[in-house]
Amino acid sequence: MIGDMVRGLVTTIKHVIQRPVTIEYPEVRRPVQPRFKGRHWLHRYENGLEKCIGCSLCAAACPVEAIWVEAEVNTDDERYSPGERYAKTYEINYLRCIFCGYCEDACPTEAITMGHMYELSLYVARRRDLHQG
Amino acid sequence: MSETVTIYLDDRAIEAPKGMNLVDACKLHGVDIPVFCYHPKMEPVGMCRMCLIELGFEQRDRTTGEVVLGEDGKPLVRWFPTLQTACTQVVSEGMHVRTTTEAVRRGRKDIIEFILTSHPLDCPVCDKGGECPLQELTMDFGPGKSRFLYDEKIHLAKRYPLGEQIYLDRERCIQCARCIRYVEEITDDPVLQFYERGRRLQIISTSEPGFDSKFSGNTTDICPVGALTTADFRFGARPWELDSAASICTHCPVGCNLTLNTRLDRDAGGRVIIKRVMPRQNEQVNEIWICDKGRFGHHFTAAPDRITTPLVRKGGKLVEATWSEALELVAGMLKSAGKAVGALAGPTLSNEDLWALRRLVEGQRGARLGVWPPTMTGGDLIAEVGVAQGTNFTDMGKGACIVVVASDLEEEAPIYWHRVKVAADRGATLVVVNGRATKLDRYTRHRVRYHYGDEVATLNGLLRQALGDAAPDIDGFDQLRAALENAPAVDAAAAQAIAGATDLVVIVGGEGLSMAAHGALMQAAANLLVATGHVGRPNNGLLAVWPGANTQGALDMGFTPEDATHIIDNAASFEALIIAGADPADEDPRAAAALQEAGFIVATALFLTPTAELADVVLPRMSFAERDGTFTNGERRVQRFCKAIDRVGESRADWQIFQQVGAALGQGRAMPTPGVVMAQIVERVPWYAGMDYPTLAEVAPQFPMVGGEDLYYGGTMYKNAGGLGRQWAVAAEQASYQARVRVPKAPAAPKPGKGELIVVPVRLLYDQGTEFYKTQLVHRRVPQAYVALNAGDAARLSVREGARVRVRLAGTEVEVAARVRASVPEGVALLPLNLGVGPLPHAASVGTVAVAEAVGA
Ligand code: SF4
Ligand code: SF4
Ligand code: SF4
Ligand code: SF4
Ligand code: FES
Repeated sequence: MIGDMVRGLVTTIKHVIQRPVTIEYPEVRRPVQPRFKGRHWLHRYENGLEKCIGCSLCAAACPVEAIWVEAEVNTDDERYSPGERYAKTYEINYLRCIFCGYCEDACPTEAITMGHMYELSLYVARRRDLHQG
Repeated sequence: MSETVTIYLDDRAIEAPKGMNLVDACKLHGVDIPVFCYHPKMEPVGMCRMCLIELGFEQRDRTTGEVVLGEDGKPLVRWFPTLQTACTQVVSEGMHVRTTTEAVRRGRKDIIEFILTSHPLDCPVCDKGGECPLQELTMDFGPGKSRFLYDEKIHLAKRYPLGEQIYLDRERCIQCARCIRYVEEITDDPVLQFYERGRRLQIISTSEPGFDSKFSGNTTDICPVGALTTADFRFGARPWELDSAASICTHCPVGCNLTLNTRLDRDAGGRVIIKRVMPRQNEQVNEIWICDKGRFGHHFTAAPDRITTPLVRKGGKLVEATWSEALELVAGMLKSAGKAVGALAGPTLSNEDLWALRRLVEGQRGARLGVWPPTMTGGDLIAEVGVAQGTNFTDMGKGACIVVVASDLEEEAPIYWHRVKVAADRGATLVVVNGRATKLDRYTRHRVRYHYGDEVATLNGLLRQALGDAAPDIDGFDQLRAALENAPAVDAAAAQAIAGATDLVVIVGGEGLSMAAHGALMQAAANLLVATGHVGRPNNGLLAVWPGANTQGALDMGFTPEDATHIIDNAASFEALIIAGADPADEDPRAAAALQEAGFIVATALFLTPTAELADVVLPRMSFAERDGTFTNGERRVQRFCKAIDRVGESRADWQIFQQVGAALGQGRAMPTPGVVMAQIVERVPWYAGMDYPTLAEVAPQFPMVGGEDLYYGGTMYKNAGGLGRQWAVAAEQASYQARVRVPKAPAAPKPGKGELIVVPVRLLYDQGTEFYKTQLVHRRVPQAYVALNAGDAARLSVREGARVRVRLAGTEVEVAARVRASVPEGVALLPLNLGVGPLPHAASVGTVAVAEAVGA
C-alpha cells in the first residue's frame, strides 16, 4: 500500500519539476513561425502611397469570397496609390476568412500580406480595430 | 448560302459557302484561327498578322484545267512559300489550309511577342483583364518570355479622353484599327484617326465634342484590348465579378437586346446596381450593337429621387402612405367612378402591365384605353401589312429597296439607322423621303423632299409613278387610282427604284405630323406596298418608328392613340384616370391643361413628374431592370426581359399594382407572376398564340459566334442566352389575306402667311427625357434648347446664330437660342422636343420666330 502511494507521489513530483507545456497567456505569448498566417496587412510605399491598386485579384483568389474590393480613379488632387487606380473600398470579412493566404499569393504589388496577429476576438467595434488597429 | 466549295482544312475536307471569309469558314468547322484586327462585321484589312496560316492551292494543268495528281493519286498542292493571313482570303475550291504546323505556331508566337514589345501588360488594372483577347491569345500562342527589354517600352498617355464618354489608353492600343474602321465604314462618323507612325501610332479624335458618334460605346466592345473604355464603367468592376441579366432597351422601338451587368456597390448603400449595359447578340434585331443612349441611359434606375413609397393627396399635398391605404383608396375611387374610367399607358409599360391595366379598366366597364404619346397611329395597318416574319435588314442587299419617310432615323431609332445604312452599303437602294436633309441622305441618290404637310401627296405621287399604267387587281384600287390622278410627279428615278425592287420595306416616322396626318401617311405607305405587291414576304412590308419602346405592345393589347386623344380632349368627363408610366403634363401643352379638369387621377411613376404632381395617388412603379416582362418591338418581335436588380423602395411592378386593385374591386384573384399574365395574353390575343415565356426564351446558334468562353472574334460580347424572342405574323402572311388599298385622307397642310414659318418639332436622341437625363455623363451631349433656321429666313428675321428668340406655335410660346443651318429648308423652323422648355406640340404648325428683345421681354 505504501508502495502504491510512493509510486503516485513519484508521478506527481515528476510533473512538479517538469517544464509546463502551457503558457500564461495573455501575459506570456508564444512567438509564431515566420510564415504564420495571421491578420492581413495592407502596405504602403515609403512615400505613404498605398501599394494596393484595387485590382481585386485577391478577391478572385479567395476561396471563401471574404474579400470585397471596389476601385476608383486616382486624380492628381486626390491620390492614394501611384498609378491610375486605387481601392476605394477594401473589406475582409473575418467571419469568412480561413487564413489560407491565397490573397497574398495573388497580389501583383505585394500590397497584402498576412501578418502575425491572431487575436481577432474583440468586444469593441470590430471594424475599427481590425482595419486601423 | 446556296453554293458551297470544298476546302481542305488540316487535311480534312470541309464544305463552306462560296465567298465566305476563310477565318469564318474555319470557325464554323471548329478551327479557331486567332485574330485581332479581323471582325466579321467589317472588311478585312490584314493589319495585325495574327491569323497566319499555311496556304496552298491544288495545281491545275494549264492546258486542260484539270487538277494535277501526284504519284499517290492525290492532287498536288502548291504551297505559298511564306505564311499568309487567313483573314484576307475567301474560301475557294481546292484551297488547302494548315493551321497546326510548326511554322504556323512560330509565326503566331512571333506576332504575339512583337505586339507585346510595347504593351504595358498592366492587366491587373485593365478593365479588359479577364475578358481580353490579347491575354487569351498570349496564353494560347505566346512565347511566355519576351526577348525585348522592359525599359524600351514606349510610354504613352494612359487616360486620354477621346471624348467625355470614351477613354483611350494609348499604351494598350495594338493598332488594329477596328475602332477607326467601325466609325468610318459602319457608322460613317469619321471622327477617329491614326496619328504619328510606327510604335508611336496613336488614335486621336478629330471632332468637337470628342468622339462625336452615337455609337461610340460599340468601339469599346470590339476593341480587342483594354485600350478603349467607357467613362461610365471605367474601373467599375472586374468582369468576373459581374452578374448578368438579359434585358431589353427601353429607349426606342428597336428593342435592342441587352445584358445588364450588375454588382453590389458600397456607394449605393450596399445595393446591387447596374454597372454597365452591354449589347446581347440578336442578329435579327441589333446584331452585336447598341447606341450610346441605350448604353449610358441606365442611371435612372438607381437615381436617388425615385419615388419609394405610395403617395396620397391629403389636404392638397402628396404625403407618404402605405400600400394598403393607397390601394384601398384607388379601388374606392374606381368603384365610385363607375364607367367613367380611362387609362393612359406610357411607352415602357410591358405587355403584362398593359394586359393587367386593360383587365382592370374593362372590369369596371370603362372603355377608353389610350397609349401615350398619341403622336402616331396605324396599328391596324401594321397588323395587316407590317414587315413579315423573318424580315432582317442583314439579309437586304442588292435588289432590296428601303423607303424611309418622315423620320430622322438616326435620332429616333439609331439601330434601325445603323442597319439600314449597312444594308445600303451592301447594295440595297435607299429612298429617303423627308422635308429636310438627314444623315441618311448620304447613302442614296434618291432624296425626295416635300414641303411639310405634303407627306401623303408625295407618297401618292411616288406610287403613281411607280405603277405607271399597271392596274393591279386589288380591292379598292379603282378609287385609289382616281385619287392618285392629282398626285404630283415626284421623282421618277426614286419611283423606278421602288418599282424595280425585289423586296421593299417602308419605314414611316412621324416627324411634324399630327396623329391624323400620320394615319394617312401610314395608309399611303401601305398602299405603296400593297399595290406593288410587297407584303406578306420576309424583307417586305411596313415598319413604323413608334415613339416608345413598347408602343407596338400597347397597340397589340388594345390600347390606341385615338383613345388617348379622346381622354385628353374630354378629361373632365372622366371621374377616374389611371396614368401608368406616362407623363402627359410634361410632353403636351393641351394635356397639361386638361388633366387639371379630370376627376381622380392615379399615376404610377418612377419620379415625381409633372403628371405625378397632378395626381391624387402616386404609386411607385418598378423600372424595367427590377422585374420580368416582355416588350414588343417595332418589328413586332415579342422579347423577354429579366430582373437584374432589387426593387427600389417599396415599388411594385405595374401589372402587380393593377391586379391588386382589381382584386380589391372583386375582379378575381391577382395572378402570381408575369409568366401567368403572359399565358393569359397568349390565350386571349390571337396573334400572340404560342408566345409563352419558355418559347420566347429559346435561342439558336447565331453567326458570328461571339461571346463564348474562347472570346472569339475578340472584344467583349454577350452571347444570347436569354432568348431571341418571336415575331408575330401579320394578316398579309395568312393564306386568307385579301389585298386592299384605301384612299388616305390627309388633313390640309399648314399654310404660312406673310412673316410666318412652319415650325416643325423634331425628336433628338439626346434630350432631357425624364429617364435619360438622369445620366450625368450625357449632359454635355444634350443641346440647349434651340430652333434651327435657314440662313435666308434668319436674315429676313434679323436672327443671328446664338440669338435668343421667341418661337410661337399652336398657342405655345417658348424662348430658345437660334441656330442657323443650311440643312433647314426655306420657310421652316426646326424645334427639337424635350429640351427642357416645357411641353410642346408634336405636330408641325404655322408659327413665328422673333428675336426675344423685339417682342419686348
Ligand atoms: S490583389 Fe493586391 S493590389 Fe489587388 S486588390 Fe488585392 S491587395 Fe490590392
Ligand atoms: S489589354 Fe489585355 S493584355 Fe493588355 S493590359 Fe489589358 S488585359 Fe492585359
Ligand atoms: S483602340 Fe482598340 S480598336 Fe482601336 S486600334 Fe487600338 S486596339 Fe484597335
Ligand atoms: S437603338 Fe434604341 S433600342 Fe437600341 S440601344 Fe439605342 S435607344 Fe436602345
Ligand atoms: S491580319 Fe488577319 S486578323 Fe489581323
